[in-house]
Amino acid sequence: MSGNDALKYQVTLLELVDRVLNKGVVLSGDITLSVADVDLVYVGLRVLLSSVATLEEQAA
Amino acid sequence: MIHVYGVVDGLEELPRVLGVDEAPLERRRVAGLELVLSRAETPPSAEVSRKTVLRHAQVVEALMCRSAAILPAQLGRAFRDEDQLATAIEEQAVQLERSLERVRGCVEFGLRATPEPADAPEADSGADYMHARLEQVRLQDDLVERLHEPLARLARATSLQRRTGGVSAAYLVAHDDARAFETAAALLESTPGVTVVCTGPWPPYSFAAGAS
Repeated sequence: MSGNDALKYQVTLLELVDRVLNKGVVLSGDITLSVADVDLVYVGLRVLLSSVATLEEQAA
Repeated sequence: MIHVYGVVDGLEELPRVLGVDEAPLERRRVAGLELVLSRAETPPSAEVSRKTVLRHAQVVEALMCRSAAILPAQLGRAFRDEDQLATAIEEQAVQLERSLERVRGCVEFGLRATPEPADAPEADSGADYMHARLEQVRLQDDLVERLHEPLARLARATSLQRRTGGVSAAYLVAHDDARAFETAAALLESTPGVTVVCTGPWPPYSFAAGAS
């Protein structure tokens, strides 16, 4: 993966998670997702993204 | 619990993918609107993980490819039963119908632009701080003018956010204009001095929550 591809991948993943968690129509119903849950998703995402960065370093 | 993926119109057939927690997808018609949902025995609460986020996104994307219009639902809400679902949809039916018309025939694109860091001196006085803040606003204005405005001309609707150190935006683009939009966006990605990443086509998440 080139630096540009890796960046594009990271931004795409971040944009995806942002859309699913923060955008979209709210159809009311019960809240099943706490702020802590959302934070966990982002922490997981950071782990994943940092592993992409590691991959890139190894490839360089 | 009932997990809703979105409100759809003109859905040909359900995609052959499973929903959250490997539950099968179902179609349901409420108040003249069609919903795609799946069921879970227990609330998915603590189960909300990256996997759930990705599965929700995957289902929404598959639905977008098979329908004339889709309003993606925000993850993190669920309905206890059919009654609660029906009541909620009936209450919002008019607004949902309007939003569905707004996104019909369109996809969403995203833009993230961050200026490459300049060698800014440490702000050690109030005047320096104000100066740095003004410089940031000026940089954002510049990004809006050079990147956002040309793309906005190809979009039916836009949403722009100024972030610390840059701007991000979403564009609602008609299918017929998508190719031109992608070409314009690809050109902007090589703008010197700015890291520009364009993403999409996405289902219209950023334009699902009602017309503005």
